[in-house]
Amino acid sequence: MNILVSYNWIKEYLKTNLSPEEFAKEMSAKSMSVETIDRLRDRFANMVVGVVKELKAHPGADKLRLAEVDIGREVVEIVCGGKNLAIGMRVLVALPGAQVRWHGEGELITLEKATIRGVESFGMICAPSEVGFDKAYCPEGGIWDLSELTEAKPGTDFVGALDMDDVIFDMEVTSNRPDAMCIVGLAREAAAATGDNFEFDLPLLPEASGDKKLEVNVKDSDLCPRYMAVVIDGVRVGPSPAWLQKKLLLAGHRPINNIVDITNYILHEYGQPLHTFDYTKLTDQEINIRRAKDGEKFLALDEKEYELTSDNLVIADSTRPVAVAGVMGGQDSGTWDGTTTIVFEAATFDPVSVRRTSRALNLYSDSQLLFEKGLSSQSPAIALAKAIELTLELAGGQVASRIFDEQKEDYKPLIFDVRPDKIRQRIGVEISDEEIERILTTLGFTLDKVEDHYRATVPFWRDHDIEDEVDFSEEVARMYGYDNLPSVLPSSPPPITMEEPSVFWEHWFKNKLSSAGYTEFYSYSFVSARDLEKYDLDPAEAVSLFNPLSSDLTHMRTSLMPSLLSSIELNQREVSQDQVFELSRIYLRQENDLPDERLNLTISHFGINDIEQALLKLKGVLEMIADQTGFDLSFERVEDNIKWHPTRSAKILADGQEIGMLGQVAEAYTKAFGIDRPVAAVEIDLEKLIPRLKLTRHYQPIPEYPAIVRDIAVGVEEKTAFFEIAETIKEQSPMIESVMMVEVYRGPGLAHDVKSLTLSITLRAPNRTLSSEDADEVMNRVRDTLKEKFQAVLR
Amino acid sequence: MKKELEQLRDDFLGALESAGDSLGLEELRVEYLGRKGKLANVMKKLPDLAEDMRKEAGQFGNEIKKVLETAFLEAQHTVNQFEERTRRDAEWIDITMPGIAPLMGSLHLVTQAIDEISTILHQLGFVRSRTPEVDWDWYAFESLNMPKDHAARDEWETFFIQDPKADKVLEGKKGKVVLTPHTSNSQVRELEKGQLPIRMFNINKCYRRQSDVSHVPMFHQFEGLLIDKNVTITELKGVFDFFVKNFFGAERKVRLRPHHFRFTEPSFELDISCDICGGSGKLESGACRLCKEGWLELGGAGMVHPNVIKAGGLDPEVYSGFAFGWGVERTLMMRSGMNIADMRIIYRNDLRFLKQF
Repeated sequence: MNILVSYNWIKEYLKTNLSPEEFAKEMSAKSMSVETIDRLRDRFANMVVGVVKELKAHPGADKLRLAEVDIGREVVEIVCGGKNLAIGMRVLVALPGAQVRWHGEGELITLEKATIRGVESFGMICAPSEVGFDKAYCPEGGIWDLSELTEAKPGTDFVGALDMDDVIFDMEVTSNRPDAMCIVGLAREAAAATGDNFEFDLPLLPEASGDKKLEVNVKDSDLCPRYMAVVIDGVRVGPSPAWLQKKLLLAGHRPINNIVDITNYILHEYGQPLHTFDYTKLTDQEINIRRAKDGEKFLALDEKEYELTSDNLVIADSTRPVAVAGVMGGQDSGTWDGTTTIVFEAATFDPVSVRRTSRALNLYSDSQLLFEKGLSSQSPAIALAKAIELTLELAGGQVASRIFDEQKEDYKPLIFDVRPDKIRQRIGVEISDEEIERILTTLGFTLDKVEDHYRATVPFWRDHDIEDEVDFSEEVARMYGYDNLPSVLPSSPPPITMEEPSVFWEHWFKNKLSSAGYTEFYSYSFVSARDLEKYDLDPAEAVSLFNPLSSDLTHMRTSLMPSLLSSIELNQREVSQDQVFELSRIYLRQENDLPDERLNLTISHFGINDIEQALLKLKGVLEMIADQTGFDLSFERVEDNIKWHPTRSAKILADGQEIGMLGQVAEAYTKAFGIDRPVAAVEIDLEKLIPRLKLTRHYQPIPEYPAIVRDIAVGVEEKTAFFEIAETIKEQSPMIESVMMVEVYRGPGLAHDVKSLTLSITLRAPNRTLSSEDADEVMNRVRDTLKEKFQAVLR
Repeated sequence: MKKELEQLRDDFLGALESAGDSLGLEELRVEYLGRKGKLANVMKKLPDLAEDMRKEAGQFGNEIKKVLETAFLEAQHTVNQFEERTRRDAEWIDITMPGIAPLMGSLHLVTQAIDEISTILHQLGFVRSRTPEVDWDWYAFESLNMPKDHAARDEWETFFIQDPKADKVLEGKKGKVVLTPHTSNSQVRELEKGQLPIRMFNINKCYRRQSDVSHVPMFHQFEGLLIDKNVTITELKGVFDFFVKNFFGAERKVRLRPHHFRFTEPSFELDISCDICGGSGKLESGACRLCKEGWLELGGAGMVHPNVIKAGGLDPEVYSGFAFGWGVERTLMMRSGMNIADMRIIYRNDLRFLKQF
């Protein structure tokens, strides 16, 4: 969570001479990080206060006017469209060189003298959003009327006129530290980080009494550990004084009226949300802190109606909810211009309940943000004391009731035993006891030394984040400064641990396949039920999400094939053919256990019309893998697997065990995924294969004697298997070293069911150089046998 | 005979002029200088001369021969040079034609990042684990010191698995079943193995209920874990330094910034200096937009919380350690200065995207 922090405001509590840059550096290194530094003197360079002297119509545009503006040294003419522009108004004039954001949108631009619709304009009269104050009051289509904020003379620089010579830090506060989500909390942190002094006196509640009736009933103290309220009568609701408005603007809050501004001021300064009700709008002057009834309706400040459930805590009068506790007030129960009697609420609510209510209703606010992080039950008293003080000062009136204070239980501060040796051991450097004491004391901890350790009392504002002795080591380490720690590599010997084989092989396969020319797909692990169904996988058998993000991503995939086919479909318009693979886990449901996460592999060629080529290439890849990893690869024709083409597919076997399929994806499935071209694919369950893989290398001695190579063209009936022919040839002589396929020919010159295979036969003897006659003799035998066995036609 | 030789010389020199190419030259050489050539024919007559004439004629013959040979070599040289030039000229190739790309596949960006990260961590003796992506609440949350009501355990942040038999979240022996929203489920799983010391890293798919231009519902994190006796923050700093300098470059600076995670104490964010503005936070054109005052957030880290060590079955008084981790996609993009407008393209499998890497 982020907060805008005025350095001047910080300095009300932190006595420091550090430059803004030094402050930011120390805070980032030791406490909450400063994300940006906004120097107002720079932001408002070349901006001055001007006073409108005269207004004239623009000769060329109905919606624009020409304003004669006194900027001190001269009166200049400025073209302006601001609807609320009036003679005598104090306005913000951006002069050439100033940086503004046109209409509050887009990039900052540097202003130059410009001619607008034919009239030269010397600068610009700005709306608040054009100079970064989105939340300052400004009527629609208007400009910023500074009359109430400054009485400075024309020509005074803006920063000086509004007393805004300040630096604003945008700081990120970690979610465990809502106590630092405010000026006082950050000033305290800064004191520990910089060594400068933190000066802050807790405001005290006044003695209070009065005769205004109010009934406060906490019906569910688990969800509301503390509820405080007080009635103040005779207030005058109106604009806040300029100093308060300016502070709120710099803090990113919208000034509204003095009462609401006081609550936001205290929120920003102390980090404790407050809420106010119009006393007269509380039916029967009752405040009931209870769970909502199921179906109960609530009209919130944002003018929307919300339907509540008993999971939501509300503040209700005798008839209806007037606020969703800690989240947002109601539309018609808050302070408005006519309010004269108010009820201040200062409370703590259960953080989890606030968070869940806020998410369930999709309703967010500054208060909810803090409450859901967990606030101390001791904060409301301080915030309420300050609220009473400021209200009497700024809105008048008097306290008209006792201070109601419903607290679940008496507060007992947390106490831990803290061993300084443990702190030093964890950080790795010698930090003195004195330094440890300084750091912890500045942060508000109270330390009692008991023998070799401290009894440390946790300040109330830290009672949610300090949970254990170990937390003290963080406080000391960060304030000592991580920058001050040396950087050393672990000195102990590394353990002797072997990586899981699958981790190694995953890497190996991916690298081989990409080297072989395949592009890696990487898909979501979840698919839609529809995707599974398209591939005839039963979604009911898959691991499914209880709370999916969309209907596209509902089921953990039980096969990589649907992802593959979807991705091919996605690509087919732009890429006519390609070769791809994906190696990833699939998730198979198991009774009473986590799913079986199995590494699977798909390799595919799509878009090649010559499917025979595609399949042979895939087979070649498998052969390469088998060759390098030492398993025995074989194939078995499959004709009855509906997912695969009945005459173009085979089981893949490793050492005789089935590990997957090779083939053309059956047309029904490519069509189901909208693919208009054939897809050849391999699908392998790698978990079955990995145990068989090894990286043993085999060495074949280089032959001593030369080989003779003879080519032969064999015309055979179409369905004659190459394997049979090759085996038959090899049987003819031990001299035949190999039979290689060179080319398959079908077409003119051959009968329609005949193919001609050009084979290359290598002959070699281990102990001598073969003669041409040797080869002739073998080849004759080969020819005769082929003719006889396959009715082959030889050419 | 002298006359005859002089005539022969003049004829030869004249013929050389018009010999043309190397073939013509060779013919000339054979005609005049060959074993049965014209010069040899004249010289054959030498023995017929009177003795006193013979010596002089012989010497003159040799001189002529030298002249012819030299002239021939010169002519040959000239012709060869010319022919070489002509040949080279004919062999001209247009080197501005586009190169022919080799048939290459490509590894997905994330795979490339995983390989690089693994290589660096292997050097420090870290070993990659294999950890489930669908896991018990115990490993994903409970054992990591995250209380039951922690925001991350809410249904709007984490994906839960459906009970196939009832309309509720699947529950089993170690709690609800979730899609791991981070890689930290590997911590207690590794501790439970009881093999010490530990130097482990886990790179895995993670899942969170978010999908927009800067978030994908599935992404990758990596997680390093070191557990031993007396481990200190200074060693975490050392490992982080080593990683950053290897992955991002030796000139990059690192910074540990206080942060908060439930399963580490102390916790930090790990920042590295911005390479666009050189760590200054400023560019000539104004503030650097990539970083925050000169620093880029890389990831989170911290000393493993004693409760986590306890949950893994070890005594936190004896064992301590640190963990660190961050998003893989983000890390990769930070290093490459890549600006992918919509993160979701990373897992869309558009080949026009994939083939760029």
